[in-house]
Amino acid sequence: MEGVSYQRFPRIKIREVKDDYMKFELRDTDASIANALRRVMIAEVPTIAIDLVEIEVNSSVLNDEFISHRLGLIPLTSERAMSMRFSRDCDACDGDGQCEYCSVEFYLRVKCLSDQTLDVTSKDLLSSDHTVVPVDYSDASSGFDNSTNKGIIIVKLRRGQELRLRAIARKGIAKDHAKWSPAATVTFMYEPDIYINEDMMETLTLEEKRELVDSSPTKVFGIDPENKVIVVDAEAYTYDDEVLKKCEAMGKPGLIEIHAKEDSFIFTVETTGAVKASQLVLNAIEVLKQKLDAVRLSDDTVEADDQFGELGAHMRGG
Amino acid sequence: MGMGDDSTMSNPTNDLSHGIDKQYLASPIKNLVDKYQLVPEFLKVRGLVKQHLDSFNYFVKTEIKKIVQANKEIRSILDPNIYLKYNDVHIGEPSIMVDGVTEKLNPQKCRLCDITYAAPIYVDIEYTTGSHGQISVQTKKNVTIGRMPVMLRSCCCVLYGKDEEELAKLGECPLDPGGYFVIKGTEKVILIQEQLSKNRIIIDTDKKGCVQASVTSSTEKTKSKTIVKMEKEKVYLELNMFKTKVPIMIVMKAMGMESDQEVVQMIGRDPRFSALLLPSIEECADLKVYTQQQALEFLESDKMLKMFSYSAGPVEKGARALSILRDIFLANVPVHKHNFRKKCIYVAVMMRRMMEAILNKDAMDDKDYVGNKRLELSGQLLSLLFEDLFKTMNDEARKTVDALLARPSRSSRLDISPYIAKDSITVGMERTLSTGNWDVKRFRMHRKGMTQVVARLSYIGSLGHMTKISPQFEKSRKVSGPRALQPSQWGMLCPCDTPEGEACGLVKNLALMTHVTTDEDEQPIISLCYCLGVEDLEQLSAEELHMPSSYLIILNGLILGKHRSPQRFANAMRKLRRAGKIGEFISIFVNEKQRSVYIASDGGRVCRPLVIADKGVSRIKEQHMKELRDGVRNFDSFLRDGLIEYLDVNEENNSLIALYEKEATPETTHIEIEPFTILGVCAGLIPYPHHNQSPRNTYQCAMGKQAMGNIAYNQLSRMDTLIYLLVYPQRPLLTTRTIELVGYDKLGAGQNATVAVMSYSGYDIEDAIVMNKSSLDRGFGRCIVMKKYSATCLKYENNTSDRIIKPQRQGYEAERMQILDEDGLASPGEIIRPHDIYINKESPTVTRTPVSSPMSLPDSAYKPSRQTYKGPEGETPVVDRVALHSDKNNNLCIKFMIRHTRRPEIGDKFSSRHGQKGVCGTIVQQEDFPFSERGICPDLIMNPHGFPSRMTVGKMIELLGSKAGVSCGRFHYGSAFGEPSGHADTVDTISETLVKHGFSYNGKDFIYSGITGMPLQAYIFMGPIYYQKLKHMVLDKMHARGSGPRVMITRQPTEGRSRNGGLRVGEMERDCLIAYGASMLIYERLMISSDPFEVQVCRKCGLLGYYNYKLKTGICSMCKNGENISTMKLPYACKLLIQELQSMNIVPRLKLSEA
Repeated sequence: MEGVSYQRFPRIKIREVKDDYMKFELRDTDASIANALRRVMIAEVPTIAIDLVEIEVNSSVLNDEFISHRLGLIPLTSERAMSMRFSRDCDACDGDGQCEYCSVEFYLRVKCLSDQTLDVTSKDLLSSDHTVVPVDYSDASSGFDNSTNKGIIIVKLRRGQELRLRAIARKGIAKDHAKWSPAATVTFMYEPDIYINEDMMETLTLEEKRELVDSSPTKVFGIDPENKVIVVDAEAYTYDDEVLKKCEAMGKPGLIEIHAKEDSFIFTVETTGAVKASQLVLNAIEVLKQKLDAVRLSDDTVEADDQFGELGAHMRGG
Repeated sequence: MGMGDDSTMSNPTNDLSHGIDKQYLASPIKNLVDKYQLVPEFLKVRGLVKQHLDSFNYFVKTEIKKIVQANKEIRSILDPNIYLKYNDVHIGEPSIMVDGVTEKLNPQKCRLCDITYAAPIYVDIEYTTGSHGQISVQTKKNVTIGRMPVMLRSCCCVLYGKDEEELAKLGECPLDPGGYFVIKGTEKVILIQEQLSKNRIIIDTDKKGCVQASVTSSTEKTKSKTIVKMEKEKVYLELNMFKTKVPIMIVMKAMGMESDQEVVQMIGRDPRFSALLLPSIEECADLKVYTQQQALEFLESDKMLKMFSYSAGPVEKGARALSILRDIFLANVPVHKHNFRKKCIYVAVMMRRMMEAILNKDAMDDKDYVGNKRLELSGQLLSLLFEDLFKTMNDEARKTVDALLARPSRSSRLDISPYIAKDSITVGMERTLSTGNWDVKRFRMHRKGMTQVVARLSYIGSLGHMTKISPQFEKSRKVSGPRALQPSQWGMLCPCDTPEGEACGLVKNLALMTHVTTDEDEQPIISLCYCLGVEDLEQLSAEELHMPSSYLIILNGLILGKHRSPQRFANAMRKLRRAGKIGEFISIFVNEKQRSVYIASDGGRVCRPLVIADKGVSRIKEQHMKELRDGVRNFDSFLRDGLIEYLDVNEENNSLIALYEKEATPETTHIEIEPFTILGVCAGLIPYPHHNQSPRNTYQCAMGKQAMGNIAYNQLSRMDTLIYLLVYPQRPLLTTRTIELVGYDKLGAGQNATVAVMSYSGYDIEDAIVMNKSSLDRGFGRCIVMKKYSATCLKYENNTSDRIIKPQRQGYEAERMQILDEDGLASPGEIIRPHDIYINKESPTVTRTPVSSPMSLPDSAYKPSRQTYKGPEGETPVVDRVALHSDKNNNLCIKFMIRHTRRPEIGDKFSSRHGQKGVCGTIVQQEDFPFSERGICPDLIMNPHGFPSRMTVGKMIELLGSKAGVSCGRFHYGSAFGEPSGHADTVDTISETLVKHGFSYNGKDFIYSGITGMPLQAYIFMGPIYYQKLKHMVLDKMHARGSGPRVMITRQPTEGRSRNGGLRVGEMERDCLIAYGASMLIYERLMISSDPFEVQVCRKCGLLGYYNYKLKTGICSMCKNGENISTMKLPYACKLLIQELQSMNIVPRLKLSEA
């Protein structure tokens, strides 16, 4: 271990950031780091989700567990989640998870009085904490008409049916249950490195060039005004090998060569709305750092166990 | 058949189309997609279980009237002036009498209250009152003679003709097909019974290989089986009235055919036939039988005729033989005024066909041919039952009246009418339908298992149950013939849907468009035939019977006569049928080989609609389809206008049916409506079944019935004993036309799972699947299991009754009563745990002897009879619903539905729609799952080894099609054989769609490992496949035990999961251990862990003694001392055996020696 340093200094270049969407490049590192980041984003960034439901009245068509399950899956804004406590190691409430440090209370009281069916949506959930509310998707940028956007439907009620309940949301991670996952999509791809053998390409007729360009199912190549084959969008390439096969079929192997760059990744992150996409990445890096700390500390201190709870045990393969 | 000439006659619509391009209209539909519209139209008109409904409707509208008409009079034997006459009968509205008040019934109410959905049978009667001299005739209308169970959705049912909203008001599911009964709250369906057709000549061979012609005659009066067989070159008759076989010539002579020559002529003058007949003629001559009288005497002799006890005095010689010949021998051929000629001709035809079969083996009939089969439906079975019960009731009534008349002193005036209003019919019907045992002595019918409880596991399961055909044979027979797929099943019976195992191929299912006929009146057809030039047999000489130029005309197995130009006759009949002048289900079949025309109007034939073509040109034109789309036309008008007709299996043989219009040649007479209709309901769910290996489709047919999903729209208000529901059922992304037609898209049983076909983790061998934990968290495969628990508050003889009391809130029982409401019943929404009391019931201690004040007994007179919930520990079931009702004895009944929501766990069974079942092998975190660069992550990983040997190519196409479907937002279709007609998307177009949306044309994706983040070595075939969760779940099956209950008498552990039993080390396991030499293990398993017992054995006498605790020694009760006692261990079962042997005077002695 001594002597040789594998330390690298990864760079991130952000291409696009929206509230719930982000695309960035991660360079100068390898798949293990990229994948660790991905895995943490999916499963270990904490969020807040409804965890306990006390049903007072439920005369709807869906049964109690059904509604509870649906409530749990509603994304709640979780900017506070990183600073909140897990209810299992909350000192303030002895772990029963009902205190302000580790939980948020919600109420739902709906009764249908009209002849039309009433949609009970996430907007009907009343939160005790204004920072933790059901995610509102009706922002102007989404392109949906605001008047029709009513939130996530929980259940539909007909005349006379009623739903009254108290729900407690807690902090958690998606390892325990997918409802705590802040990520809708987290994925990365290797950046492709496309090399076109210009000399060989010149031997092709325009017709053949067109065929070659069309052989890719995605729009990777194009023909410029000078009738040269150029790479239009390298990242559209899905590693489908169709172009390479086409070259082979044309009897010109090596006409195009494509390699994946081993050290650069293009990440796509979409969130459920619980945290902003940019925040998700930052949180993930934070969690990753904590986990690495746990590994580092676990060798020489036993206290690490108490400090990181199950996380430390998990890190040591327990 | 050349039907060309009548094209001008039909199509009156053609004349209306002035000013339209006639050539365009006359051109056939170029695109065959349009004709598909007829299938939904057919199903709209006929419904999915129309055969049951038609049969029942026919029974209540026609058949019941016939039965009553045939037995319309009850006349006293003692005084013939006293009588009762039935004038009319009809079935009322379903209702029940409660405390003297008539209450209307609806099916849902019956299901919930455990009562029978039945309607009163009303009769109009005319009867006499008074006695002796003063008899007056009275009439009464609407007298109830019993209650008839009503088939749901039949014409008597309250659901008949109701629309969706009205059905919803009655608590009924609009998609429920009906066709079953509700008997004491359980839904019972009478299975369709398959039988060999009655009254038809069937040529086959007997056990010895002799060729025989048999007829099973069945008339209203009698049923008999007549066999004419060729044995040792002679022809004999077999009839169970005769002790031995009877030479056929004697029978002919007994029927008045004294001339041998005439018999020969009747069979035909072909010398080969005469040669075959010659030995029989000689035998007859040897027996010295020449005249009718001699023949009859021969038949009546003791060695021929079976003796019957009821020989009513001396009768004329030969009269009994004659009456047997008249009434039992070939009972289906009527004899008028001792004119046996028809019967003679019938026998001659039988003999001729038999001889043809001897000369040419091809003329043999195939018993498995669907045309020789009849399906017996609920209506026919009910009518048999009703007839029997009705006759029994009438007999009873007559006997009662006679008994009254016989009594010397009668005070009140006699009135018969009360005696017919017994509940014998009601009880008889109800019992038969609920047990399924048809014991009709009058018709010598003892059949078991005719009804079954409707399978309500899944919607498709219940639908499939209605189309199930149960076989006539016992299942143990080891013959392949009846089990094999018959070519004549085409379009009538589903080639896929049959169970595996012993009933394989015997239990069948109807295809989608099959119709089963009901009986139709013969008389108009007979007269019509004579009008069309059929020559009556009476006017013909024997010689003319088999003239080369003429064909026999046979109606329902009865020879009507002959016709000189059969083809013209058949064409004329068909034209009349198409014009609607005779019933649409009458079949006309010209059998060239047998030189006869068969006309059939009997019930139980299977038939299906086909488009008529003239010289290969379909009669259905674009205009007709347009009219259909516009709603001016329906299926019946297609039928009425002669565009479509029903063909039964026999008539199909006279036609040339083109699959598609483009394949039609000038010889084509019919065109199929849609090829996928050859499959039944269950097989119709499979996408691309024509790409699968055939057994896979059969497996899926069986598995589709076990899939969880939505049962019906009223599923949450049903109180069935066990309901499995899926939490988020979906509609398959890859649908078929059948799915839409039967409503599977509305009541699905499965979910579209994104499947990656790859190997992962090693927990996926042997068809196991790997599941994504996040998908399960989000609700994939989640299901609800509901179980019913019920309790009854009984009333006892001494007027005491059970009571339900308030729960104790304090005391040691309070904990178990937590979930009880103040009324003593578990309240809905409470979590119920094992040992919780769900009904706090108490029963009186004294129930027999009368008590002073039964209603106000002291608390001490009650003992608790609570019911506790027993379920596995660790579950969290919830009380879903509590329903109260009174049963038929007016006791209070309480039903509890206990619900349990389950998420999939390791060991739960799943299946795709291609007979590919597998259990969940492991559940993996989403971050460990592979992902694509679009971020797609599968829900499920399936091992690719499932494909090569199963050859379920359909599943692969389903994956492709679903993938294209999700990316373009359109449901794709995969109907059977649907590619040419556009009901199935082709792989080519699917691939195009995939490429358009940036996927690879072959459905494979570039995938990264979720564990390492590295790309996988291969492209992975990934996309959505519709997965079904099957009812087999580990939670219901897992079982282990350390120590637990034991059987009382042997002290060995109990058996079976339900009794928390032990796992048996059986004989074979024991053998292994012996062979291995693990003696201590055997000792431990078979003794220590089973039933060890310490015994005192006397070394002297070898008998068992006992241990005296006072003296602290063992004592031998035989030797009366404790000197030679040894203590040893023995299995308790062994001690028991020794004692049992002793009790029967066998003394087993144990000889002990030092070890």
